[in-house]
Amino acid sequence: MSVNVSMNVNGRAVCGEVEDRTLLVEFLRENLRLTGTHVGCDTSQCGACVVHVDGRSVKACTMLAVQAEGAEVTTIEGLAQDGKLHPMQEAFRENHGLQCGFCTPGMVMSALDLVERNPDPSSAEVREWLEGNLCRCTGYHNIVKSILAGASAMRGGS
Amino acid sequence: MAENGIGASVPRTEDHRFLTGTGSYTDDSNLPHQTYAAFVRSTHAHATVALDTSAAAAAPGVVAVLTGTDLAGDQVGSLICGWVVTGKDGEPHKAPPHPALAADTVRHVGDAMAIVVAESARAARDAAELVKVDYTPLPAVVSMRDALAEGAPQIHAEAPGNLCYDWEIGDRAATDEAFGRARHVARLDLVNNRLIPNAMEPRAAIGDYNPATGDYTLRLTSQNPHIHRLVLAAFVQIAPEHKLHVIAPDVGGGFGSKIFIYQEETAVLWAAGKIGRPVKWTADRSESFVADAHGRDHETHVELALDEGGRFLGLRVETRANMGAYLSTFASCVPSYLYGTLLQGQYTTEAIYCEVKAVFTNTTPVDALRGAGRPEATYLIERIVDQAAHDMGIDPAELRRRNFIPADAFPYPTKVALEYDSGNYGLALDRALELADYNGFAARRAESEAKGRLRGIGLSAYIEACGIAPSQVVGSLGAGVGLWESGGIRFNPTGNVLVYTGSHSHGQGHETTFAQLVSDYLGVPFENIEVVHGDTEKTPFGMGTYGSRSLAVGGSALVKAMDKIIAKGRKIAAFSLEASEEDIEFSGGDFKVAGTDRSMNIAEVAFSAYVPHNYPLDELEPGLEETGFYDPANFTFPAGTHVCEVEVDPETGTTEIVHWVAVDDFGNVINPMIVEGQVHGGVAHGVGQALLEGCAYDADGQLVTGSFMDYTMPRADDLPDLTVETTCTPCPHNPLGVKGCGEAGAIAAPAAVMNAITHALGTGAIDMPATPQAVWRALNQ
Amino acid sequence: MDITGEYRIPLPREAVFAALNDPDVLGRCIPGCEALEQVDEDEYSADVVAKIGPVKARFQATITVSNLNPPESYTLSGEGRGGAAGFASGSADVSLETVDEDTVLRYTASIRPGGKIAQVGSRLMGGTARKLGAEFFSRFVEVVTPAPLSDERGPAGQEE
Repeated sequence: MSVNVSMNVNGRAVCGEVEDRTLLVEFLRENLRLTGTHVGCDTSQCGACVVHVDGRSVKACTMLAVQAEGAEVTTIEGLAQDGKLHPMQEAFRENHGLQCGFCTPGMVMSALDLVERNPDPSSAEVREWLEGNLCRCTGYHNIVKSILAGASAMRGGS
Repeated sequence: MAENGIGASVPRTEDHRFLTGTGSYTDDSNLPHQTYAAFVRSTHAHATVALDTSAAAAAPGVVAVLTGTDLAGDQVGSLICGWVVTGKDGEPHKAPPHPALAADTVRHVGDAMAIVVAESARAARDAAELVKVDYTPLPAVVSMRDALAEGAPQIHAEAPGNLCYDWEIGDRAATDEAFGRARHVARLDLVNNRLIPNAMEPRAAIGDYNPATGDYTLRLTSQNPHIHRLVLAAFVQIAPEHKLHVIAPDVGGGFGSKIFIYQEETAVLWAAGKIGRPVKWTADRSESFVADAHGRDHETHVELALDEGGRFLGLRVETRANMGAYLSTFASCVPSYLYGTLLQGQYTTEAIYCEVKAVFTNTTPVDALRGAGRPEATYLIERIVDQAAHDMGIDPAELRRRNFIPADAFPYPTKVALEYDSGNYGLALDRALELADYNGFAARRAESEAKGRLRGIGLSAYIEACGIAPSQVVGSLGAGVGLWESGGIRFNPTGNVLVYTGSHSHGQGHETTFAQLVSDYLGVPFENIEVVHGDTEKTPFGMGTYGSRSLAVGGSALVKAMDKIIAKGRKIAAFSLEASEEDIEFSGGDFKVAGTDRSMNIAEVAFSAYVPHNYPLDELEPGLEETGFYDPANFTFPAGTHVCEVEVDPETGTTEIVHWVAVDDFGNVINPMIVEGQVHGGVAHGVGQALLEGCAYDADGQLVTGSFMDYTMPRADDLPDLTVETTCTPCPHNPLGVKGCGEAGAIAAPAAVMNAITHALGTGAIDMPATPQAVWRALNQ
Repeated sequence: MDITGEYRIPLPREAVFAALNDPDVLGRCIPGCEALEQVDEDEYSADVVAKIGPVKARFQATITVSNLNPPESYTLSGEGRGGAAGFASGSADVSLETVDEDTVLRYTASIRPGGKIAQVGSRLMGGTARKLGAEFFSRFVEVVTPAPLSDERGPAGQEE
């Protein structure tokens, strides 16, 4: 059965007709062609698909597109402004917080929700927060370093 | 050191697209009129099958349902193994047919039997469920012991006794003699646990066929697009090489698993030709678990003979290695030439003998995974050395030091067919012990004991053979290909540069490192350099990325190309500056007439090369573009020492890694930040193997660790911050002096973790993964 | 993994045994059974919808009765094919003992999954098997028992 969904994605009103079983991540990738949100598993473990829905990080594979009806959705594509990377993105770049880049969008989106809740997290808090995000490349060392640096930059630190 | 040159931690060029969600992975692409594929896979480990596809073919949106019978009817060739290992008996290994779609017999859970092509991915998956498969189960063999047992069910008629090969290396008589002289023999039975690669990006492929030209295009998750093209053209014979274009765009991690030529891309490409439309397939993670080649899976008995002073007299190794149900692309060389040849370790062991039985079982094929054979070798050497140290009451660091190949002994011919080129093992060990505060361990252990915790410290002094590989050597050992690499440099008329490499980046950062190299070497600004890889129509034929080879072999090929560029530039500058070629010096991007102030920048030389209005054309060709091919003279031998310190809770068996030190000798380093990142990732992979990851099948051959719910991947809170340093003995035989760094962590880490745990527990009777349950059992046995 | 259970039924052993071989009773007791048909003296075919962990599938099941030793014991075996979801096979050895006026039914059951069910559901197999076994036999008790059961005669499944 097809249904119409509409939501606000990265500040833009979007709508589409989807099968009712369509997941939010499928709607983003297939209907909106926002392919920065990735699918790394089919059991909601890997976190590659994390986006923000109404300001909170959500695994976009755990939610139907229709459940996001009317929501404010932010994806990795919505972070950089006027060609300038968000401080968290910049921190990942400067600290080599990514290698193959596949888990990266989910990592960045998760990190931003952490910093929203806890602007000055400890290294241990970052590691615990990342429980829902898998990375096979980095060994997490530089991801943790990036998030601490990104949080610091967002607080206005150097 | 230039700002963006060799030795600088330049932030990566590729990161901007990955961080903004604008990377282009295979699944991100869609072609006009594209269809979608789903595979029908065996749910049995071993069975004969009959398929009824009528309901699926009639389902809504279905374009075609193609089976193994159709595939055989089209004379599509078998998947191949590209390295023929010769056994003790002088016979080549057994490589039974491996069709892209099984026609009548399935041999592992996940074996593909049919491809369903439909207008949408959902329609394809729905229809795949409608294919009726009538299974007649056959007895399955899952463990290697069962497979080798008398009267075991046979998986392939071509491989009696389920034996792929029985291979040996080293000197059996000399080793027996050494054991005869031994004062002490240390013994261990070790399992090197089976791993599932789990690159974060699942495999994907889009096949396309242009009936107007007869051209095929395959976009896929590949570490080596040219090898994919070669195998699909020359062996599987879907299209000749010049009619097949393979593109590996952004690839989300490989770790070996994206080297191989699999059933799915073969079937997708063939199906695209049959229906005349693009066919796209993206694995879901459940498919990856059963269809990506697994890694490791060895069972080994190892013995080390020592004299009264703790010197290693002899090493004897007997290994069974699981090949799974079919012989994957490079499976045969992993537990033989990438394993037995590394058993010298860092030591002067006087005699070595190793025999390996490679065994077929009704499980997913096993092939190279990050380190490939070398982690297995290091693991057993470093475990048996610790066992010997424990038995003889010698400090493990001291025992290693006594047996190290001395720094002045290089080049060092090993007892297992290699020649180590350079190294200083004592230096890395000493620095690692210092960083780990090895001497302060007793105090830390006392503190842990006061809290009711056990503490252990473990060393792993690893070595690997990388920079794969000298073609002459691997050819003589059965490799079906050469393992050289290509590099191309194209100057554009405006002076910027395209760099072409036959290697492929799937996280390693070639676009940055190679640009640094070219910038430094040719004096072209870093931002004026673009690195092109992963496309058989753009780059020269190349062998791809694995075995920590990209910089050592691919970078060296670029140096050859750049040397040609400089030679040509010198000619052009000599003509333009009206000087003799011998008087032209090149440095920092300038061609200069020696002893004068007359010079031309390389950008001006390039412009001149494309505007040859007055060139003496019989002496000087226009253009500035060169290609180099580099075949290494030897392997490279990265080595080092990792130190792991753990705290174990005896109540729960939980192990916490409290400190990690890695001191690695990678030779010269171009981008230290990237190198450190490679070590971090490798260590995490090795820690995953040691503590968390264990692929398990039940007695019927069902994979019971088939999702991230049951197969434990390392997560951020499983790992500590890592202390990473390098030492440097440059590689003497490649122009960059580099050795390779991508696998080191995964090779070193498992033994370091397990030696720390056995040190904490006071018993060596524990295998990987050392889960809380395994640790608790070892403590309470 | 073996699952065992024990029930006390206020009926004579012969009556319980007869019910255990009655397709109508079996059809009503097999959890998720949508249709059951006797195809041979000892064989039934059934359509069963089952959910194992995250995988829900319709199984085409063959149920066989063997080791018939009336009215003491028999073995009930089933093999269900769930298409892409995989398959599951299981069997239960059932024995009946007369205690006072009642019959004590004991069973030992095992279940072996295959395909996707094994891949993502193995971890949950013990619990699922226990639940399905308990459901079958408690329904069976309900169906055949003339009067309501008292609490102490409820299901008592346990894992060995």
